[in-house]
Amino acid sequence: MLKMTNIKKIFRTSLVETHALRDFNLQVDEGEFVAVTGPSGSGKTTFLNITGMLETFNSGSYFLDGNDVSQLNDNQRSRLRNEKIGFIFQSFNLIPDLNLFDNVDVPLRYRGFNARDRRERIENALERVGLSARLKHLPSQLSGGQQQRVAIARALAGEPRFLLADEPTGNLDSLMARQVMQLLEEINQQGTTIIMVTHDAELARRAQRNIHIVDGQVSDYQKLQPVLDLAEA
Amino acid sequence: MIYYYLKLSWLSIKRTPMLTALMIIAIGLGIGVSMTVLTVNYLMGKDPIPEKSSQLYHVQLFTFGKGHGNDQTPDSFPLQLTYQDNNNIKQSTIPVRKTRSLGTGFSVIPDSPEQNPFMESARAVDSDFFTLFNVPFIFGSSWDKTIDSQPENVVIIAKELNDQLFKGENSVGQQINLNQTRYTIVGVTDSWQPAPRFYDLNNDNFNESALIFVPFSLIPRHEYPSWGNNRGWESKPINTYQDKLNSEIMWTQHWVELTSDEQKHQYQQWLNGYIEEQKRNGRFTHEKAGASLKNVIQWMEYNDVVSDDNSILVGLSFMFLVVCLINTIGLLLAKFLRRAPEVGVRRALGASRAQIFIQHLVDVGLIGLIGGLTGLALGQLGLLGVKALYSNYNQLVYMDTTLIIMAIIISLGSSVLAGLYPAWLICKTSPSVYLKIQ
Repeated sequence: MLKMTNIKKIFRTSLVETHALRDFNLQVDEGEFVAVTGPSGSGKTTFLNITGMLETFNSGSYFLDGNDVSQLNDNQRSRLRNEKIGFIFQSFNLIPDLNLFDNVDVPLRYRGFNARDRRERIENALERVGLSARLKHLPSQLSGGQQQRVAIARALAGEPRFLLADEPTGNLDSLMARQVMQLLEEINQQGTTIIMVTHDAELARRAQRNIHIVDGQVSDYQKLQPVLDLAEA
Repeated sequence: MIYYYLKLSWLSIKRTPMLTALMIIAIGLGIGVSMTVLTVNYLMGKDPIPEKSSQLYHVQLFTFGKGHGNDQTPDSFPLQLTYQDNNNIKQSTIPVRKTRSLGTGFSVIPDSPEQNPFMESARAVDSDFFTLFNVPFIFGSSWDKTIDSQPENVVIIAKELNDQLFKGENSVGQQINLNQTRYTIVGVTDSWQPAPRFYDLNNDNFNESALIFVPFSLIPRHEYPSWGNNRGWESKPINTYQDKLNSEIMWTQHWVELTSDEQKHQYQQWLNGYIEEQKRNGRFTHEKAGASLKNVIQWMEYNDVVSDDNSILVGLSFMFLVVCLINTIGLLLAKFLRRAPEVGVRRALGASRAQIFIQHLVDVGLIGLIGGLTGLALGQLGLLGVKALYSNYNQLVYMDTTLIIMAIIISLGSSVLAGLYPAWLICKTSPSVYLKIQ
């Protein structure tokens, strides 16, 4: 479903050349819940940006749901991103001027759904995260956990096959974090593939598969196990 | 999607009210100044009688003697006619309508002792003047054609004077005292203020039209003074009014209505014949002696109604608009870049570059529209200023529908143009730069 082969990404300035990803190989199958860990600067961000087609890569191949991403133009990438991928950010990234309804509406607008379909999808998505009574509230009127649930509703409204989550619990207290994680697990059980970047070892262990990135490459999972055990202890 | 973009633009305006207000003021000022100048310039050169401007011809005869000419016109032709030539060419039966014309004036002495005498500009014309120039009447009509050759003390007054002297009532048949002579009113014209005052471009192109019209044929009887330019070249003494009438002094005008090219050709031939006849009589000794016919638009161009100075002023005002737009570009950059994180989110949620680009252009367009409306209001203030400073521009200080539409189009067009770079910059920026994905 998602296959990256020998992906190379280099950031160049006039003085420095940084290899963010080198010979990066990864395959994620439909319905998987994959946790991505790694130290700062290891390439997790770049990996997630390339996965979400927010950044291009220098060489290698990337197939998403049968589409050769390197052959797509901006319009096609945007369309594919809109249809197949939902994003959840650490800092929620809700648009502050828009109420919950309109925030969830954003990806649906670009998808071209008619007003009735959009309303139905928005109400369903907000109901799924338990916020259907707050359609007209602004993000600033919600707690952090509630805002992240809105972000999840926004990501789910278009029924994407992939959910890319960037530290989804990073800004939440432990109780809220557990609730959000539980929600993600439910979503995954319903068939959505999830790739989650996290620093939280406990959360990583709850995923079906863990990927550790070091120096722009996928590291052997076995090497990660002692680190996870240590974190757990 | 346009409705959605407009909704987002409105939210964006509410989010950055000060920045938006500055942009609206910048665009409004630019549009206001440029539209004020453009309005005056546009109305100066506007066809004052579009329904028949191509059929009305001003007659010019080159009556200068040898060694003389008019250095103010490109072909040295004089702008006016002598009294005797004006009378002579009136004899032609080719034009559908024709009128002699002279700018003059009177001391109007109201019959009511409560009203003080006052000076008022007037025009001595033939009966065709009113139909030739489509002058509307509210009471009565022009005098009988026979009066053009057998003068009677009749007069046509304009609505404004009728309101002043007769409180707007039908004054036809009543008398009016002009220069101590009583004239019978035969007609009252409705307001008629062509701008520019094309039928007499010798004496301020944008002055208001005369309020009193008397028969041209009365000139010898009452010895009307000229309230316009007089140009002579002959060094002969002028001791009496009759001397002036017989002289080569050019101080009157002649207009004809010719409805076809054929008719114009025939009339031109007739005038050439007249020139030859006069040459045989010892006049028109200059080698350039000839006749020229110019329709209304040609006559306005010939007289430089819209001078080069006006065109330069229009250019300068649009340069000011450009300066305002450059300021707007800076403000737009600040506004858009401030919103870059939101753009990053929208891109991540599936918006293409083109959609982001269009959204920002709609944003600029809405600001441009509000700026244009502000500019129109400022333009009206500017025109009021022009009116206060130059009373003879009264006819030029209004914006017609064409100008209002033009202002909106210029405002929208220039704003969108100014927004192209900021919108392009924001849409080409990588969304990942603004998204915290780590």
